[in-house]
Amino acid sequence: MQEQEYFGYAGRILYIDLSREKVEEKTLCIEDIEMFVGGIGLATKILVEEIPDPRIDPYSPENILIFMTGALTGTPVYGASRYVVAAKSPLTGAWGEAHVAGYWGTELKKAGYDGIVIKGKASSPVYIYINDRNVELRDASKLWGLDVFTVDEAIKNELNDNSVRIASIGPAGENLVRYAVIASDIQPNGPRIGGRTGMGAVMGSKNLKAIAVKGSGRIKIKDPARLSSILSRLLPLIMSSPTAQILAAYGTAGEVEEFYEYGDMPIKNFTLGIFEEYKNITGQSFREKGIVVDVYGCWACPVKCWKVVEVEGRRIRAPEYETIASLGSLLMIGDPYYLAKVNYLCCKYGLDTISTGVTIAWAMECFERGIISTADTGGIPLTWGNKDAVLKIVEMIAKREAFGNILAEGCKRASEIIGKGSIDYCAHVKGVEMPMHDPRAFKGMGLQYATSNRGADHLYGLFFRIEQGQRVHDLKIYERVDRFSYKGKGWMVATMELWSEIQESMGICKFVDIPPAHVAGLYTYATSIKRTVPELMKIAKRIFTLKRLFNIACGITRVDDTLPRRFLKEPLNEGGAKGEVVELEPMLKEYYEFMGWNDNGVPKREVLEELGLLKYVEKLRIKI
Amino acid sequence: MSELIFGFDEEQIKKDICKVMRNLFERGLVSALGGNVSARVPGAKEFWITPSGIFKGELTPDDLIKLDFDGNIVEGIGRPSIEWPLHAAIYRVRADVNAVVHAHNPFTLGLALAGVGLKPITVEAVMVLRKVEVVPFAFPGTDQLAKLVSEKASTGARAIILQNHGIVAMGANLYEAEAIAETLEEVAIAQFVALALGKEPPVIPERDVELYYKLYRLEK
Repeated sequence: MQEQEYFGYAGRILYIDLSREKVEEKTLCIEDIEMFVGGIGLATKILVEEIPDPRIDPYSPENILIFMTGALTGTPVYGASRYVVAAKSPLTGAWGEAHVAGYWGTELKKAGYDGIVIKGKASSPVYIYINDRNVELRDASKLWGLDVFTVDEAIKNELNDNSVRIASIGPAGENLVRYAVIASDIQPNGPRIGGRTGMGAVMGSKNLKAIAVKGSGRIKIKDPARLSSILSRLLPLIMSSPTAQILAAYGTAGEVEEFYEYGDMPIKNFTLGIFEEYKNITGQSFREKGIVVDVYGCWACPVKCWKVVEVEGRRIRAPEYETIASLGSLLMIGDPYYLAKVNYLCCKYGLDTISTGVTIAWAMECFERGIISTADTGGIPLTWGNKDAVLKIVEMIAKREAFGNILAEGCKRASEIIGKGSIDYCAHVKGVEMPMHDPRAFKGMGLQYATSNRGADHLYGLFFRIEQGQRVHDLKIYERVDRFSYKGKGWMVATMELWSEIQESMGICKFVDIPPAHVAGLYTYATSIKRTVPELMKIAKRIFTLKRLFNIACGITRVDDTLPRRFLKEPLNEGGAKGEVVELEPMLKEYYEFMGWNDNGVPKREVLEELGLLKYVEKLRIKI
Repeated sequence: MSELIFGFDEEQIKKDICKVMRNLFERGLVSALGGNVSARVPGAKEFWITPSGIFKGELTPDDLIKLDFDGNIVEGIGRPSIEWPLHAAIYRVRADVNAVVHAHNPFTLGLALAGVGLKPITVEAVMVLRKVEVVPFAFPGTDQLAKLVSEKASTGARAIILQNHGIVAMGANLYEAEAIAETLEEVAIAQFVALALGKEPPVIPERDVELYYKLYRLEK
């Protein structure tokens, strides 16, 4: 029988059972990529089908940790650098996923694999070394406890290869901090981070310290001439967008000023609308002060939003907007030098900066309100603006020391431990700490946070872009929308969430804004599988709905599709979003209708039938 | 072998679209990212259109997309011009139109922005343009713009100025549509030069205009 030839894809998935120390290759099934494309789509299918029971403890060896590249990852398509990590999340107790850019995904594909499915738990710490389809499980006992920078150096030294690409956890992942990250492309200029929903903790629970990859293969393209021709002529369009220009000049930090003026950038745990010190922590300020020292870029990226700072003699990735806000304005700190340092610490230990910042903000508000005191915090005064306290607490969280052990649980669980009504100050959805876009400034973002499968999520939909005035013709979003209105946003948010499923399945970056119909065309030229936007959107709905089914199996209901009370009832008294609250219910109703879900947020039978998902109802043991 | 319908070779239409686009680009009437051209086999309910977002100076037939009037892709790969609703709307109401050019004629647009109407200052202005309409600003690519254009097109206009945006030229074939777009600009430039030199340009006398219309049996 003739072997299937793959274009764009490597054509193989690596299965590793750490309990049995068993390594196996499986051929990529064409039917699977027709139904799920790749990246997060494929990871969703595999996780749902192969997890023994969605109700398991996320730290159980039965949890499955999946690394999956996108269909276009490693091709010359602009921004096609990404891979995803998926597992049952220890933060949400339901669906978990994180996305990572850089070079690691491309390297994995060049090594011969579209993805890695990791099962079981190693009896002692290990790391995986993949060198062009030669796969080894290696002892990581001496690496356990090392921070991500040191482990990067140690593995490169051990392999005597400075070009190997490494994805690793830090002490936070080992210590099962529920929002620990996976870091890859660590040095030079990194790391890139798979930050959200605690995928680093799942990796730690498996005694897996790192995955080192070296690939020398070639990713085949079906029609390279056409692909190249389209790409070269698309460049002026991509680079002419105002967002691309800001990102190219200053990175995401370049948007601080605009977000602040919208009243979008959270201040003092989402309670204030004015913070004059924001001017010190803009991307422009980082550059003017000489803190940003260089520009780098991911695989195939023309935008190069990746900026570099120097901390403790290392060149590392500069703080992004989300970090500047979550560990800066949210805590009433406007010091760029501190932000470079605290960002470095989070990278070093492997902590998600959003969850870290929001959890500390919750603790600071509890401290201010007298719910906790220095008796709880080990003598640390958790006052607003206290940089030294934050730097100390970050280390304590990563090491699960004293009060850090409570904060390592994430703000929702921490508030359950502390009690005394402290949940009212916890900015989370489904247990995931809220990103740095206040939904009172962009109402559709409120719906996006409430409905995203992985909890409060700014990237699945990126709806604040639409509410800033971006239109997406290919998805029928023709008109500019009012950021404060809620009418007619249900279908739009759903549409943008669905398109994000395609971006994460293709492995393309949302900051390199290729219009959807061009993505369909580029995919067709790269893989020979002809796709149009309507076809891709049906696949997107299949992926999104399957995750929803997984979440339902994990106990998620309509009640969880909500926002903290603060955003529904408490307007800000000043700033760009003064007087606004989120009118969630009418948007949610419209959203459910568009998605084909019943009033309880459960997909209707006919929708599941149309998407080919009915068989999963039985597998997941859920009622529809 | 390409399809032949009533003597119209679709492959030739695609080549001609690219050629017209290149001509317009070289004349500065479309820019690297702005402007689009479509054409159809006479009477067809589908049309070929240039892609969106791709540098306009070097299009090839492989770049073109065939759409039905609802915007569904019939043939081709990638992204059709976002102005497809405007093109489809014209084909729906104008059986005599088989090619549509949407360009960004700078002088034509400049005069329109200044509130200066085009006048019959040359024979071509009379013969080629005949009827020029203006529509107010609407966002590019929207159904609203398509509706405004469709209303004016249905009155028999051969060219429409889109305020704050560009122009639309309609012809029985691609070369006529191109000629209309180019004539618009030629007339606008001449009129602008006269105005810039402080002179109100003289127009062709009304009786001569009438005579041309009679001679060539043109409708006003």
